[in-house]
Amino acid sequence: MRIVIAEDAALFRAGLVRLLEDDGHQVCAAVADGGALLAAVDRHQPDVVVADIRMPPTYTDEGLRAALELRQTHPGTAVLMLSQYIETTYAARLLRNSPAGVGYLLKDRVADVTEFVDAVSRVAAGGTALDREVVSQLLAASRHAGGLDPLTPRERDVLTLMAEGRSNAGIATALVLSLGTIEKHVASIFGKLGLPASESDNRRVLAVLRYLGS
Amino acid sequence: MQNGVMRAVPSILRAAVRAPVSGQARREVLFCLTGVPFGLVNPVVGFYLVTMLLWWATPSRRPPNPAWWDILGGLLAAVLMLLVLAAGAARPLGAASRRLAARLLGERIAAPPLRPGRGLDGRLAAGLRDGPGWRAAAYQVVKLPVAVFECYAVVVFWGFGLVNLSYPFWWLSFRNHPPGTHLHPVPVFTPLGWFGQGTFHVATLPGAFAAFAAGLGMLLAAPWVTRAVVAVDGWLMRRLLGPGGLAQRVRDLEQSRAVAVDDAAAQLRRLERDLHDGAQIRLATLAMNLGMAKKKLGADGEVLDPPAVRELVDAALLGAKDAIGELRELAKGIHPPVLDNGLADALATLAASNAIPAQLTISLPVRPTPAIESIAYFCAAELLANAAKHSHAGDIKIDASGRDGMLLLRITDDGTGGADPARGSGLSGLMQRVAVVDGRLEISSPSGGPTRVTIALPLRA
Repeated sequence: MRIVIAEDAALFRAGLVRLLEDDGHQVCAAVADGGALLAAVDRHQPDVVVADIRMPPTYTDEGLRAALELRQTHPGTAVLMLSQYIETTYAARLLRNSPAGVGYLLKDRVADVTEFVDAVSRVAAGGTALDREVVSQLLAASRHAGGLDPLTPRERDVLTLMAEGRSNAGIATALVLSLGTIEKHVASIFGKLGLPASESDNRRVLAVLRYLGS
Repeated sequence: MQNGVMRAVPSILRAAVRAPVSGQARREVLFCLTGVPFGLVNPVVGFYLVTMLLWWATPSRRPPNPAWWDILGGLLAAVLMLLVLAAGAARPLGAASRRLAARLLGERIAAPPLRPGRGLDGRLAAGLRDGPGWRAAAYQVVKLPVAVFECYAVVVFWGFGLVNLSYPFWWLSFRNHPPGTHLHPVPVFTPLGWFGQGTFHVATLPGAFAAFAAGLGMLLAAPWVTRAVVAVDGWLMRRLLGPGGLAQRVRDLEQSRAVAVDDAAAQLRRLERDLHDGAQIRLATLAMNLGMAKKKLGADGEVLDPPAVRELVDAALLGAKDAIGELRELAKGIHPPVLDNGLADALATLAASNAIPAQLTISLPVRPTPAIESIAYFCAAELLANAAKHSHAGDIKIDASGRDGMLLLRITDDGTGGADPARGSGLSGLMQRVAVVDGRLEISSPSGGPTRVTIALPLRA
């Protein structure tokens, strides 16, 4: 994968570069603010951008705004946002049009190197990677909280992983279950929540998020 | 010293020449002129006008002087006018004066609180007990002499100054008679006895230039004269048209409360920023380094790249130490633990750890409340840091004493001076913080030094 990194904390930026290069990816550029990110993407046309949300000069949602602009100007470039906080409104803004090639993770998640690299790859391949914090906040705030009652605890685990953007195979690995079992759980969840069954992982994420957010 | 005076002379000259053409001078002249009508709404003027009117309107043969009933009528009119002013009319006039002062002098005087009372009767009754109304009426009374002086300053210093300046020009144009022609001397008016025939007369061209010189002198003096009169007017307006004692106090408290609230919010924001950009990101980086090291170590068996693992663990260890240090500094910035032992210990620690040696004298028979100790400590810390950064001082004295319910903290350095609260936000920030508890901060820092900052705080807040 060809990757552009935007992160204002120099040490963390250097760490990210090393982590991704160790895993065999090519980091084309590592920049420190939103403007430089847009310029770097123009120049290198990367597969995926890994960007901090809060960066200079405003130290608010600089990175997020750059990412939203990239979604318009470079639809082929996936974006994975990193942040020290999870704001569900940020997630909503990112996912507004399509969850394809979008990710939003807490910075702590990089400590789990394999999982983090997996999330970067998934986003680059057009998938979704949502932090489990986002999903649990959505679950907690869901007006359909009562509607989730019929789900068994196992089905809730599957729903959470599904909302994070994992494929059936990914869920099976995470829960150490067989693929067939997961497929059965997914079908049951869709049935109980009255969601239209969907083949594509992204449409599935969108359906779940719409259900939780509406 | 000599050098300083020599250097100061050109700048004083420059200021003197610029003063008459400055925008400030123009606005002050305008203020003097627009203030004249306000001076006329005055019981004394009312007395004079009504007396004269009654006298003039006396039927049949008019006596040579106003009779006693004319004067009585004038007095009644004056009293009535004063009551009307106090009961309500003076307030809008005062408001207009305040607006003029704000627009032309940049002097913003807060409005007094609104008058209570509803309905015409209620408003009349309340009007006569209305302190700010009476004060505004008092302003109308004293405005008359002030307006006279304002008029005088403008007409004599500016008006006649300009007229005198013009003498040589029209002299050359109109008085170009052949030699021997007898010319009437022309009077020249200056502030020295300007009534009647003029201060002196000129009959020749050199005389016209004497008038020019007098005009020049008057115009150079003019801005300072108008400024002085306007300053007196400004002082009267602040005293008589502003909110009175208690209302002023409420306003001050509202202001200092706003500062305190903003200050608290700003401190929390700074704290969040420090955590976010400091310890938090260091810990995230540390976790990332450990994560990479763990991956390189593998689940079991041979380690593939031991030097890389060692390097990652080293980086993680360094990051952990940095994060601990940063958290410690942050915690100290919120509340220095040494302050728990009292201000004396805290200041001693501060003095000992300062870049420039500081001598400490403390006499605090009564311990101030914790909030005061904290303010005093952070002020001292900021001032010492300032001195170390900017003053080039070799010696700093810290003097803390408590008497008459006040804590006096004085920090003196023998550095280069020139500290100005208007330039750096640090000093003005301290002033605001001190003002929150009704304290004062005074700075004496002439260019060339020394700098002395005195902070007075109540012992309890």
